[in-house]
Amino acid sequence: MLAFVARRLAFAVVTVLVAVLISFLLVHASDTTPGAVRLGAGATAADIAAENARLGWDDPLWQQFGDYLAQLVRLDLGTSLIDGRDIEADLASRLPVTASIAVLATLLSGVVGVLLGVTAAVRGGRLGKAISTGSGIALSLPQFWVGVLLVYVLSLQAGLLPATGYVPFSTDPGRWLQSVALPVLALTIGGAAIVARTSAASMREVLGAEHIRTLRATGTPEWRIRYVHALRSAAVPVVAVLGIQFIALFGGSVIIENLFALPGLGQASQAAASSGDFPALVGVVVVATVVVVLVNLLLDLVTAALDPKVRAA
Amino acid sequence: MSAPQPLPDADLLTPDEPATEVAPPSRRRGVPAFLRRPGGALGAAWLVVVVLASLTAPLWVPYDVTAQDLGDRLSLPSADHLLGTDPLGRDLLSRIATAGSLPLLSSALMLVVAFGIGLPLALVAAERPGRTERLISRATEVLLALPATVLLLAVIGIVGNDIPLVMAVFGVLLSAAVYRVMLGVAQSVRQRLYVDAARVDGLGSVRVNVRHVLPAMGTVIAVQAAQLFGIGILVVAGLAFLGFGPGEPDPSWGFMINDASSHLFDGPWLLVPSGLVLALTVVAANELADALAARGGAGARRRSRRARTTTPAPAPSAVPAADPAPVPDDAVLAVRDLRVSVVDGPDLVTGVSLTVRRGTVLGLVGESGCGKSMTARSLLGLLPDGVEVSGGSISFQGTDLVGLAEGELRGYRGSRIALISQEPMVALDPAFSVATQLTGPIRRHRGVGRREARTIAAQLLRNVGIVDADRILGSYPHQLSGGMAQRVCIALALTGEPDLLVADEPTTALDVTVQAEILSLLRALVRDTGLSVVLVTHDLGVVADLCDDVAVMYAGEVVEAGATTAVLDEPRHPYTMALLGADPHVPDGEPVPERLASIAGTVPSPGTWPVGCRFAGRCLFATDECRTPFPAVPAHGGGLVRCVRVEDLALHRISWTPEEAGAEIAAVDVVPTEITAGGAR
Ligand code: SF4
Repeated sequence: MLAFVARRLAFAVVTVLVAVLISFLLVHASDTTPGAVRLGAGATAADIAAENARLGWDDPLWQQFGDYLAQLVRLDLGTSLIDGRDIEADLASRLPVTASIAVLATLLSGVVGVLLGVTAAVRGGRLGKAISTGSGIALSLPQFWVGVLLVYVLSLQAGLLPATGYVPFSTDPGRWLQSVALPVLALTIGGAAIVARTSAASMREVLGAEHIRTLRATGTPEWRIRYVHALRSAAVPVVAVLGIQFIALFGGSVIIENLFALPGLGQASQAAASSGDFPALVGVVVVATVVVVLVNLLLDLVTAALDPKVRAA
Repeated sequence: MSAPQPLPDADLLTPDEPATEVAPPSRRRGVPAFLRRPGGALGAAWLVVVVLASLTAPLWVPYDVTAQDLGDRLSLPSADHLLGTDPLGRDLLSRIATAGSLPLLSSALMLVVAFGIGLPLALVAAERPGRTERLISRATEVLLALPATVLLLAVIGIVGNDIPLVMAVFGVLLSAAVYRVMLGVAQSVRQRLYVDAARVDGLGSVRVNVRHVLPAMGTVIAVQAAQLFGIGILVVAGLAFLGFGPGEPDPSWGFMINDASSHLFDGPWLLVPSGLVLALTVVAANELADALAARGGAGARRRSRRARTTTPAPAPSAVPAADPAPVPDDAVLAVRDLRVSVVDGPDLVTGVSLTVRRGTVLGLVGESGCGKSMTARSLLGLLPDGVEVSGGSISFQGTDLVGLAEGELRGYRGSRIALISQEPMVALDPAFSVATQLTGPIRRHRGVGRREARTIAAQLLRNVGIVDADRILGSYPHQLSGGMAQRVCIALALTGEPDLLVADEPTTALDVTVQAEILSLLRALVRDTGLSVVLVTHDLGVVADLCDDVAVMYAGEVVEAGATTAVLDEPRHPYTMALLGADPHVPDGEPVPERLASIAGTVPSPGTWPVGCRFAGRCLFATDECRTPFPAVPAHGGGLVRCVRVEDLALHRISWTPEEAGAEIAAVDVVPTEITAGGAR
């Protein structure tokens, strides 16, 4: 078990390094320079050159990379080229927004999706068919379109929820929940559909398995067979999908944050992308990769807890 | 007598895959299978329409995409503007159609890149397992763990708003996902190829891949391509929604939705056309992928269904015996005239009568597809979905189990009738320890507490010959060997102290030495506990070894039954003779194939049984007489034999040797009447 964790940890570190390297190389492949971005359109070539020299842009690549890694180890992501703000402080304040939406949407997708999927697998018939058709369509719908539709129906027509804006949890938990409800719903519709599909397929497969027949043959009550034994085996692929979902939602938050005017990581990366703010871009990539890697690590541990075979490997 | 060999495995109807549906044979030839599903056909049609309409948009759109008409802003659909207008009075139909080519083409580019990288890597990795494969797999694993959306934004921030280039980069990221899926497929394809290595021999690796591996991967490639295409469209639209795409006044699907979101008050209609076209395109791609994925399995199923429906369900081959055999006093189980069928489909088992006396073992023997497993499973009411007992009775200690509600049956399972199955390695729940799996039923059946249950569990394990019971209790199924797992399964079957044990090929999956151990364990259990057993097997050696009585099944009915010694020493039905081989006294060293060759052909599948004797198609002695219904006749004391020529054959002392059989056939050909007359009374 210890070796297993160590291996996954090493993999996580390598992944983060690769992400940093890729974004670093991308930045250097660009035909603009940080000096030009920093000084804006009016700057002369000489000014830009001087600024680049000051920022260390002219140093050899490996040296810049080393410097950046050294910075990273001190948890320092540098300062923005646009307004000089501290990137790690900025991202640290944004992380909770994105994380809370992604976590809530993943949890809700998990609960709703597993309920629907298990119902479809256990009940079958017309209800099962309806669930599978419905989820097939729901998972293909563009999240931002669903988001706008939800705003129209729930916020403009029904007046139930605020359309945009974010209230921090620490300010007012009730209003925080209201402010994230629409984005979470918009993300959950597709997410729950994917989870429902996976859990229905997985549950169907497990219910037909030999060990379930053994349980029936020993007279085990049907509810126990379904919800203790089958669900436990069926949960392994579902957990994997939930992890992928969280990662996708975390990345996909860019669009939903834009739509609902939420001050999260996605909004930061959009702003950095449109302004060419290199350090901010690399910073977002690093933070997002770390989150993804940590979630994957957690997933591995959950899978190991569910599946004794993985534990032994 | 010698130990007879296992029978050839015809494998026409495995108990786990019953024919649950009987569809009319398909008449629409020439239509690709995936288009027969409504989702697949609609999806393909929509994609064709969207692609054609988008690519030819400049030729037919009614308005210039930038032509504004501020007097006609945000209008609803009308004759002038079929889909309405946007906030600047521009025609939505023209703009949506024109905007289509960018997402479609750049998603196509993304696919080319993703498969262009992922597929060759998968082929190479499948060809060179070991270091190369590990290296590539690790690298793609890292690629998969990168946050794609954020990286794409970084690319945009650096290279600018060049959507095709961005999508090509996305293709590089996705190639890791393509590799993952394709590697699995390529590996299994190659494994199948190695079986036919001779065919492939001498071809270069590229040609092997192009000629053999790639075509076999076609379906999976198509499925994944359709799925990824949908994702690509969504990503392009999402980027445009954020303002990364063709800028105003050029149209894009994503930005139209963004535009709509700021006009929810004054023009909510705007949200419908753009979003619907985008959503439908993605739904279509996914539906197409589903239909493609379902193609392989559906095709095979359709074929087999057609085979089953060519002949209408035949009349029962035999007129049932006039008097059902009386039930002896010491019978634990008496099955009478049992019929098992697919719901609204063919019969799987007909007219089966069996009797199991207390403390004895009844063998059910026959080739695969003879209905012996179905018969055994019906005893516990554990038939697969879509299969039911459609007639007869199963009297267990005086109660007819047929027609009992599921809840009542559950009261019998485990506590009075228990099951051990064919595949011990998969019969135990992989997620729970042996202790948990044993103590659950022990507590339920015997009403004891947790600690006592564990003591009983350990005792049960010792009873089935497990020495270090405590270690096994703490293990998980995957840590057990096959023989050990089967012992645990037997212990599990004994948790409820049953009176009858149904053992469905309990040793088939095990090594020969382990088989012998398990068989002697079963024998000891019968001797020591007075347990009765129904043993399903295709191995006559096992029957000879263990069974007091035997019922030989063929094509869903019992063709010969009686005391084991009687049936095996003096088989009277040609099928039993065939099973035993030409000469029951063949020395042990006799080569197997020669003996198996003596029974050519396969068991007819349910729904294709001929009228009269179901064995007629393979029987060396078949005559016209065999093809009309006839009753089974009593034989072997309390047993029966279901052969119309049984007297003939006995009279002529005929047995199933190829030479004699050949002579017999010749005789039948030349003077059929004489032989028939000889047998007639
Ligand atoms: S002799 Fe006729 S009835 Fe007897 S087994 Fe052969 S085909 Fe069937």
